[in-house]
Amino acid sequence: MTQSYDAVVIGGGHNGLVSAAYLARAGMKTLVLERRHVLGGAAVTEEIFPGFRFSVFSYVVSLLRPEIIRDLQLPKHGLDILPLDGTLTPLHKGDGPKAGGGDYLWRVNDHGRTVRELRRWSAADGEAYEEYGQLMVEMARFIKPILAITPPDLTSLDPRPLMPLAGLARRFQALPQRQQAVFVQLMTMSASEFLDQWFETDPLKATMSASGIIGTYQGVKSPGTAYVLLHHYMGEIDGAFRAWGIPKGGTGGVSNAIGSAAQALGAEIRLNAPVARVIVKGGRAVGVALESGEEIHADSILSSLDSSRTFLGLLEPGTLDHSFEEEVRRFKFRGSSGKVNLAVDRLPDFTCLPGEGEHLRGAISFSPSIDDMETAYDDAKYGHFSRKPYIDMIIPTLVDPSMAPPGKHVISCFVQYAPYKLAPELGTWDDQREAFGDAVIDRIAEFAPNIRDIILHRNVQTPLDIERTTGLTEGNIFQGELSLEQLFFNRPVPGYARFRTPVRDLWLCGSSTHPGGGIMGANGRIAALEVLKARGRKAA
Amino acid sequence: MAEGTQTDPINATNGYDAIVVGGGHNGLVAAAYLGKAGLRTVVLERRDTLGGAAGTSELAPGARVPTLAHTVGRLRPSVVRDLELKRHGLSLVGPDVRVFAPGPDGDAIVLWGDVARTSDGLRGRSAADAQRYADFDRLVRSLSGFLGEIAGETPPDIESPGLGDALAGLRLGRTFRGLGRQDGRTITRVLPMAIADFVAESFETDALQAAIAWRAIQYTAMGPWSAGTTAVLLADSAGNDGGAAGQTVFARGGPGALVSALAAAATEAGVEIRTGTEVAHITSRDGRATGVVLAGGEELTARAVVAGIDPKRTLTRLADPVAVGPSLLWRAGNIRTPGTVVKVNLVLSGLPRFTAAGDETRLLRGRIVIAPGIDAMERAHDDAKYGRPSGAPIMEATIPSLADPSLVEGAAPGTHVMSVIVQAAPYALRDGTWDDAREVFGDLVVKTLDGYAPGLAGLVTARQVITPPDLERDYGLTGGHPMHGEHGLDQFFLWRPLLGHARYRFGLDGLYLAGAGAHPGGGLTGQNGQNAAREIIGDLRRRRPG
Repeated sequence: MTQSYDAVVIGGGHNGLVSAAYLARAGMKTLVLERRHVLGGAAVTEEIFPGFRFSVFSYVVSLLRPEIIRDLQLPKHGLDILPLDGTLTPLHKGDGPKAGGGDYLWRVNDHGRTVRELRRWSAADGEAYEEYGQLMVEMARFIKPILAITPPDLTSLDPRPLMPLAGLARRFQALPQRQQAVFVQLMTMSASEFLDQWFETDPLKATMSASGIIGTYQGVKSPGTAYVLLHHYMGEIDGAFRAWGIPKGGTGGVSNAIGSAAQALGAEIRLNAPVARVIVKGGRAVGVALESGEEIHADSILSSLDSSRTFLGLLEPGTLDHSFEEEVRRFKFRGSSGKVNLAVDRLPDFTCLPGEGEHLRGAISFSPSIDDMETAYDDAKYGHFSRKPYIDMIIPTLVDPSMAPPGKHVISCFVQYAPYKLAPELGTWDDQREAFGDAVIDRIAEFAPNIRDIILHRNVQTPLDIERTTGLTEGNIFQGELSLEQLFFNRPVPGYARFRTPVRDLWLCGSSTHPGGGIMGANGRIAALEVLKARGRKAA
Repeated sequence: MAEGTQTDPINATNGYDAIVVGGGHNGLVAAAYLGKAGLRTVVLERRDTLGGAAGTSELAPGARVPTLAHTVGRLRPSVVRDLELKRHGLSLVGPDVRVFAPGPDGDAIVLWGDVARTSDGLRGRSAADAQRYADFDRLVRSLSGFLGEIAGETPPDIESPGLGDALAGLRLGRTFRGLGRQDGRTITRVLPMAIADFVAESFETDALQAAIAWRAIQYTAMGPWSAGTTAVLLADSAGNDGGAAGQTVFARGGPGALVSALAAAATEAGVEIRTGTEVAHITSRDGRATGVVLAGGEELTARAVVAGIDPKRTLTRLADPVAVGPSLLWRAGNIRTPGTVVKVNLVLSGLPRFTAAGDETRLLRGRIVIAPGIDAMERAHDDAKYGRPSGAPIMEATIPSLADPSLVEGAAPGTHVMSVIVQAAPYALRDGTWDDAREVFGDLVVKTLDGYAPGLAGLVTARQVITPPDLERDYGLTGGHPMHGEHGLDQFFLWRPLLGHARYRFGLDGLYLAGAGAHPGGGLTGQNGQNAAREIIGDLRRRRPG
């Protein structure tokens, strides 16, 4: 006999788990089905090499919504985020400020210290940094509520869903005009042109603009990237904007905490339970069939898989009408980033700041100039991985030694660009994986020459590997490009941004939906609340 | 500011209702409407000739070229009607071929005014493309139609309590819903899209994608992969019969003839026009614009000062910085004007023979677009974004003398003129200056054309190369940007040129913007001047003096 649930959540990524937790919390009998042997989707920790544990794909957290941390009491379930202090941008010899004092740019969480460091480069930038920082916090404050609303359908004849928009407009009007203008610029400009308005220091602009292109197939000069800049500014740890941290035990630690919270609230979680398809009867989703052949019935089905995997992978052909399917196919994924995980027997030694020290405890950003960032993108545009890629390096073992054997370290390198679709002459990613890894190591060696001598093991994750392991289409870590036409009421399909799908009782709750990707959990939460509303249940 | 800026309009003896700074086409359109409304109006043009970027000049004895812009098909029909431009001498000629886009391989994409004819021609390349072209044209017309209606409206007031409704679609919504549900959803999706993605949704042939994408990047510092270029394409077809192919309409006598017609209409409406008259600065008192001081020191006062020139220049060069205030001055200083266009004018001793056209010279009557592929366009942009003139420039050429022989009637028989608008030539060069690069780039442009029309280089008897710094110096276009400001999503509609200053009232009370820097942007539409005049007339009627 087949089991029956109030709700089945497909996929045990962080969003699926958040949905499950909120549904269970409201008293729904909820089951989470995860294909792999570990929870977390792209937010997993795995021991790739004996004794060395890695956040295999994603690597830092700051976007996780505080209301979720509160509602689900995640700290009680083991969530412990260790703050990262600052960002070091190593430069080539002689590229430091004219005034001298070291060929690097080093910003830390201590605002005063950062401003002093910036003055080393430019008095004007030191001053602008204060103003800019405040402005971005204002912007983040303004946009935060947008992360929690369900996007309206502009063409709907029912005015009610438009009300949040009108409310937004009123809040917008309450802003001073300059902030209104800056908000519009954030939604439309390129990260580099946006920053040009305040700063002149090239490595500063390059490093700041980097957060405008993370996870996108765009360059720092591409219109629309300023939004992603803000998207990453939303990060919030203990209420402090733009503070990033790494979860104890890796990003899998976040997933496990949410999973344990969901279970504590009564949700069931099954690992190694790949879903073959969603069972649709009379236009309604009534359950799922596992690859094992087992069928599970449920009143509501939530898929945390991306829109492509859900609509084109889990539904019988012909379930959706042609024009909707066309829109689904149009949704752009275009994974553009890779990950290089290193096990090392000692720390990298940077020419610009030799030896060990707190400069290694934060993020290390290989972004010496705007041109370096943009040329890295130019390679990708024509189907080549960046010859001199942008790298965001973290050494988690410096804040969480439990990740490696005593004395040893793990290094996490987020790398852009690595376009999912390679130029024909390059063949496949299986042919290029190690060449890509070499390009990354070469780039690091330009600034930390000892890198080659300290590597014990190297693990290269290409967009193809990310797709194979996590199921993320084209290896896009955000379940769909964060480009302007794929945000808010267009995400993932115009007219279907409200987590509902054309199939009754089938819902999306992953990053393909508003407000997009990152370990944020907002999607899973809003989706669950929409399901509860549709079921006439109160969110507990 | 100098004492001279403190004036009292009440005691002014030479008081006008409106002073229009800049006699470009939008300035003249605004002036003509103001004059027709019975307002005492004067137009002040720094140069000796009117028209700004719209002009015709003699490059060689008896051979006249469109100095900068070469087609006038975006002109709003309502402007032509209201100002009776035909009666004032405007005569238009539109060839049935819109675009001829030769490829390096000797064949070409041809876009005709007639959709069926175009898709017939495409069948040879791709049956699928041929079949989809009509739908694509319908979609472009539907979406551009919406933008065309928006173009005729003053953007909503962001301060008004009704903004929420406006944005929620209740005001714009009527127009919006006119699109129907499908297109209504489509437009929110495609406006911010990169044109390369938009054309790829319909077509598989790279050459066709590029021929259509051309208008989406023309006059911008963007490539086909830049977000928002789809909006540029749709805006180019807004309010005209362009559709997917885009308009190709010439004024007999060149764009200068359009300017003469506008000037005649304005003069007949009682407008005073003064050329060779440079405005040194805009005077203001208590934060209100009161008039202008001319370079010669002469002072004119008016109830409204109307800038036909670009917004950046207006606020950062002509207005009193104290009156404008630091915050707005900072914003105005950040208006993006990355000029990337070079104009090359040629006098040819004979008609060039394009390999892909063979002897079918009628194919050369429209716009000849040299943009062989989306990647080629993007690579040209790659050069420009690093401050290099493109080594493989992309361009749009016309041979107006084919449709309008009057342009060469004074020259030797067989003479033709060619007008070439070249992209990816950045205002700011990393190495060297445009004075050094001008003729080198001119040679490259001719050489490029010669590759498609062997022998063309040998036909050139006169050549003129106008670079972005020339556009700034000679035409007062900041950054050499012909559109008075980039056509980017960040300078669009409600925030063109600046959020809170998009309703043609600009910066100071009594100061207005009527040029291309205002909504709906650049191009010879006359729409900006028409919209601005509507607002000015309303304001001046509301507050009669005394």
